[in-house]
Amino acid sequence: MTWTRIETLGESPDGLFEEALRGLAFDAADRLLAVGDTELLVLETSAGSRSRHPLEVLPTAVTTHGDSIWIAHPSGVVVLGLDGGPQDAWDDPVRLGRVTDLAVGDSGIYLADAASRRVQRYSLAGEFLNEIGDHHRKGGFHIPNGAIDLAMDGDGRIVVANPGMHRIERYRPDGEMVDRFGHFDGVDPAGFGGCCNPTNLAVMPGGTIVVTEKAGPRVKVYASDGTFQEIVAQAADFAPTAANMVVAVDSAGRIAVADPSRRTISLYRETKGTAP
Amino acid sequence: MIETHGAAEGVTRREVLRTAARGTAIAGLGGLSLFLGVKAHGTVAWEIDAERCINSRLGAVGVEICDACATDCVLPLSAIRAINHHDECGRCYVCPAYFQIRSAVGPDGLPSQKLCPRDAIRREAIGWIDPDDPANNFYEYVIDDELCNGCGRCVMACKEPAGLGSIRLEVRHDVCLDCNRCSISEACPETAYTRREVDA
Repeated sequence: MTWTRIETLGESPDGLFEEALRGLAFDAADRLLAVGDTELLVLETSAGSRSRHPLEVLPTAVTTHGDSIWIAHPSGVVVLGLDGGPQDAWDDPVRLGRVTDLAVGDSGIYLADAASRRVQRYSLAGEFLNEIGDHHRKGGFHIPNGAIDLAMDGDGRIVVANPGMHRIERYRPDGEMVDRFGHFDGVDPAGFGGCCNPTNLAVMPGGTIVVTEKAGPRVKVYASDGTFQEIVAQAADFAPTAANMVVAVDSAGRIAVADPSRRTISLYRETKGTAP
Repeated sequence: MIETHGAAEGVTRREVLRTAARGTAIAGLGGLSLFLGVKAHGTVAWEIDAERCINSRLGAVGVEICDACATDCVLPLSAIRAINHHDECGRCYVCPAYFQIRSAVGPDGLPSQKLCPRDAIRREAIGWIDPDDPANNFYEYVIDDELCNGCGRCVMACKEPAGLGSIRLEVRHDVCLDCNRCSISEACPETAYTRREVDA
């Protein structure tokens, strides 16, 4: 099997946002949601339609759960309906300094806080529950990139990128580590290269983990047990300076990858054939 | 009257010329003293602009390393050094400025080759050290001032997005001869090496 780029959205010189593209997700209907600048962009790729929803916060990440769109900002979340209408908002500026990603499930809201270098878990009502990553003797996740990225898998586990240790770690909601995989290797693509990779990840419905790396930018997939499968995209598809490339997957297994330098989103699908 | 007048006029012209020459000399000496004074007190010196230097300039990715600072200084060991600003360093387990990160991985799980051709960077685990899991430590990278020649390789490797850009080339003013016509400045392809005011 190999991966093919379907299209790149926003390939004009201006990109999809004026200043920054920070977050990416698919909703249950496989609409592509992107946040950047101070707005939410909803793209229905099949219909080719786009709608923009202004936000009163600086959005850093987006996800969906139930009939809501959850958007993180540096110290909290805002919740919108699927039509973009406001539903709820709360923040915790004492505990949260720089939220860079979020995941939401029935077990709670998981906010990746780069300031504390830990994941902060809250109830869906916004009550603080526990931390994830506080057991690390480094004080938290090692994130020279300045961002923590996470996802929730089909079993409700929290999958976190720990780039400074070249690992992916899986946790139970209460913060206990389940397992981990990954190692440094600057030659073999099965390993994670550079100083600090992978930077971002997403989990497919079947448990396959998609990761992105920086310097040089590339996208790879790993089986749920951590076995390297293949490279989805390499440096030629992205700006050489691209880093912290957020990634999302839809129900059909398509992969969307953001290029923050160009403020574009590339879509990939798996096709039959042999990788070059 | 004519003689007297002529003699008086001649003396006056000579005096005027002498005074003018004296004034010019004093002014020249004053300017020279001022220049030497400023130079001696170090308020104007050769400096590298990190935002112009191609080794450290953001966005200059995939370009050739410039080693003019190492090769063009008149001193046997260049007056330029790579300086790691530790407050900006990520203290990474695998530092791309220390390791040749594309080299084969050795039995210890680390790249088998170092980047610095003069082995001028020292790597040391710091803090509460985990002896069983080396990736679980922070590392300090110290550049040896006596070995570094300012070639810029580590600077380029540390630059974003590969690193955090904590290593930059800087002039060691206690070593620099402060030449009026600096050969590095003349060789610098980015006009990043210029004489600028610095803190005394």
